Amino acid sequence: MAFLRIVCVAALSGWAIGCSGPEPVELDTATRIGLRTPGSPLITLRVAFRAGSIEDPTGKNGLAALTALMVGRGGTETNTYDELATALYPWSASISAQSDKEVTTVVGHVHRDHLEPFYELFRDLIVSPGLADADFSRNKDFLTNAVVSTLRGGDDEELGKQALNALLYAGHPYEAPAGGTELGLAAITIDDVRAFHAEHYTASNVLVGVAGGYPAGFLTRFEEDVTSGLPPGAAGESPLPSPRALEGLEVLLVEKQAIATAISIGFPIDVTRADDDFFALLVAQSYFGEHRTFSGLLMNKMRGDRGLNYGDYAYIENFIQDGGTRLPAPSIPRRQQFFSIWIRPVPHANAHFALRQALWELERLVTSGLTSDDFDATREFLLNYSKLYVQTASRRLGYAMDSRFYDTEFFVDEIQARLPPLTVEDVNAAIQRHLRFDDLGIAIVTTDAEGFRERLLANEPSPPTYNAAVGDDILAEDEEILDYQLAINADRVQVLPVEEMFREVR
Amino acid sequence: MFNVRIAGLVVQTVMTLVCVTASTAFVAAQQADDIFPFPVSVFELDNGLKVVSVDYDSPGIVAYYTIVRAGSRNEVEPGFSGYAHFFEHMMFRGTEKYSTDAYNAVITRMGADSNAFTTDDWTAYHIVASSDALSTIIDIESDRFRNLKYSEEDFRTEAGAILGEYNLNFSNPVALLSERLHDRAFLFHPYKHTTLGFLEDVQDMPNHYDYSLEFYDRYYRPNNSIIVVVGDVDQAELERLVAESYGPWERGDFEPNIPVEPPQTRERTAEVTWPNPTLPFVMIGYHAPAFSDQTVDMPTLDVLSQLLFSETSPLYQRLVLDEQVVDLVTGGAVDQRDAPLFTIIARITDPSKVDYVRDAIVAEIDRLKVEPVDPDVLASTKSHMRYGFAMSLDNPSSIARTLSHYLQLTGDPETVNRVYRLYDAVTVENIMHFATVYFPDTNRTTVTLTQEAQ
Repeated sequence: MAFLRIVCVAALSGWAIGCSGPEPVELDTATRIGLRTPGSPLITLRVAFRAGSIEDPTGKNGLAALTALMVGRGGTETNTYDELATALYPWSASISAQSDKEVTTVVGHVHRDHLEPFYELFRDLIVSPGLADADFSRNKDFLTNAVVSTLRGGDDEELGKQALNALLYAGHPYEAPAGGTELGLAAITIDDVRAFHAEHYTASNVLVGVAGGYPAGFLTRFEEDVTSGLPPGAAGESPLPSPRALEGLEVLLVEKQAIATAISIGFPIDVTRADDDFFALLVAQSYFGEHRTFSGLLMNKMRGDRGLNYGDYAYIENFIQDGGTRLPAPSIPRRQQFFSIWIRPVPHANAHFALRQALWELERLVTSGLTSDDFDATREFLLNYSKLYVQTASRRLGYAMDSRFYDTEFFVDEIQARLPPLTVEDVNAAIQRHLRFDDLGIAIVTTDAEGFRERLLANEPSPPTYNAAVGDDILAEDEEILDYQLAINADRVQVLPVEEMFREVR
Repeated sequence: MFNVRIAGLVVQTVMTLVCVTASTAFVAAQQADDIFPFPVSVFELDNGLKVVSVDYDSPGIVAYYTIVRAGSRNEVEPGFSGYAHFFEHMMFRGTEKYSTDAYNAVITRMGADSNAFTTDDWTAYHIVASSDALSTIIDIESDRFRNLKYSEEDFRTEAGAILGEYNLNFSNPVALLSERLHDRAFLFHPYKHTTLGFLEDVQDMPNHYDYSLEFYDRYYRPNNSIIVVVGDVDQAELERLVAESYGPWERGDFEPNIPVEPPQTRERTAEVTWPNPTLPFVMIGYHAPAFSDQTVDMPTLDVLSQLLFSETSPLYQRLVLDEQVVDLVTGGAVDQRDAPLFTIIARITDPSKVDYVRDAIVAEIDRLKVEPVDPDVLASTKSHMRYGFAMSLDNPSSIARTLSHYLQLTGDPETVNRVYRLYDAVTVENIMHFATVYFPDTNRTTVTLTQEAQ
């Protein structure tokens, strides 16, 4: 409130008619962010809690996610979930919640015609959720089915990514999927949910945000309602140890009936958006494997030149595609990040070659870096492309709240400011400092995992099979790649049937 | 054949550059009850290429969509399913002016978000970029639509990416269910196969370079295409650039002979198994009406899908909230040029309840044939649909995509407003009537998926 410059008292209560002069400016505070665009008919509300799966108690992996689901798909103290859904329906308004390793976010979307009645419900969900027995088994089963049915049996690419996460973060608070494990979810009671909520959904732990065509004064009201309605709680973040050091090429093979082989490769890095080197690595990542574009080297050489699969990309932080776009989703910030390569399913016969090529290209990136031309083109791409990140108010608000997590300026503004002074030498030096091709984790989802393990350990040549004749330059590269020796650590190769994945944290 | 046509176009370019004009241009007048809230302008070149632009306040950003009115519906020859989608990939394989690398370099320098998608009825190529880049976008897009040229080796290599896309999709049991349902429900119409195509056809694609050229020749024509531009653009400049760049594009006259699907006269069923861990699914399809912006049939079925499967529906509340025997149940039909399937899917949490869930869904449909829906519920449903539409239009790309959806159906930007007027006109009686007409047992195909026995 101290930050509010009151120009028109009437505007505070939403009655702006008859006022003259500029509207009140509600400045951001430590617990709120507002992005007001008065002309827009749409309004997005976000409430972020500094709580995620790293706070799950031992043996109860999935508690943070289930608590979030009980808020996002549950009722309030005065309205059942059914009543809430019935109220939202004619407005086509929505409320959802998502939980990652360190942050849980509740998101609401509404047309300005219905902001006031919507807000009453949204606020109650935040400060006085029902956490009712009636919603508990449904939501718990939903998360359990997501692990035992969808993840294990219906999405090989996501399975590969989660298997890589388990491999990289074994013994670390990040190890379990954010959605929980089969036995962890089974052990959770409704009292666990209520206790988790009481401990972590607190005023000292919250950041509220609103974007779009909300009325003057709304942000202040929203912030005050939330911070006064929640228990004060204790400030501070959970300790987070460093992930273990990988020893050579460590491999986790997941055995299942798969139509093709899905591969994810990676290793933890000590860089986040809060670090100067992030922006140099952002250029390297984009050059090497920008998500689902043909500006990335891996995409061009593995799909474009060779037709090995549908796509091949690289990342320097946890990446989730935002809906139908190809842009990074907000609300998944982390204090520790990892570099990864995503090789989309490859026919089994070419999987060994594809793995070799990705690592061969990575070695060349690390040892040779970018040329000046590569650097110039990639930097120009990112300076333009990052402007597209903020096409919707909702995503812009999400990024702004993530920037608060990292204690930086607005993410896109940072990209615009940090990239112009960069040099190719800066980028190549950052690659040298943070990327590598020796100590890596490799997750492989495939049929005949045991046979793949034997082929990896034998390190025999793995010539590819192509649909078409390829050029001499590609054949010359293939001669190197097909016999590229992978320093597999034989003591760190595991084969697990898919049914054993994510039963519990090992 | 392809090379001859390209040569012909070169000649045609020289001849027509001097006389390119936009044959028609107008700004669509807005009415008070229009659902589409932004001003729309339309102009058409002499060669039949229509350009629809939307004045939308998106400082510095433009969405540029090129619609080709060809999808898997147009794949009429046996053994050649999946070519509309395959061709979408080939459109990124370069021209003499812009090789693949050169095209990608331009896109990269622009920092554009560029991609494409294929459906049963249409294919869309979309770019979102700085509006400063509009002239560059028009240059590279007009070039590849007029002058695409790829080698047989490129074609065969791209077939690997297509197979890769098939592979990643078919690690999901829903893809198998949908493929089986359509194969069973349709006997002759190309909706029988999915957009990706039958696996055996996908695997055989590398051997049919000539057919891909034929597909391009048939459908990639100005009178079979529409350009949609949304954002911060100068209309006069847009018209000038489009006329210059697309004017020489040669009109086509191919009309596909799309088989007519006979009425289904008895219920069909199928069962499939999945080799990996999964809960069972049931998928049900009813033949629904083709899209029209003149009749209330399809809008009524859209309302029906809400009445049956929204979170506030009795069926959802019973199966998901109360009994908790499914964790997913939804259904509806996509607007399509020929009669599509109204498709319902449910994932069953208790493997012993597959028949129970299927019967509950059918019983709820039957109930809506005889019991009038509460007028308040109908009003709430219509409100949900109108606000849902309004809230989806929050950026240039979503606006372009929404408008493109209706344009590919009729070519008329006014269709979107007509359709929402039809939604408003749906009555309680319409619902009972069309539930009876389109949901008899004989029009139903049911496919169940269970986990393979270990």
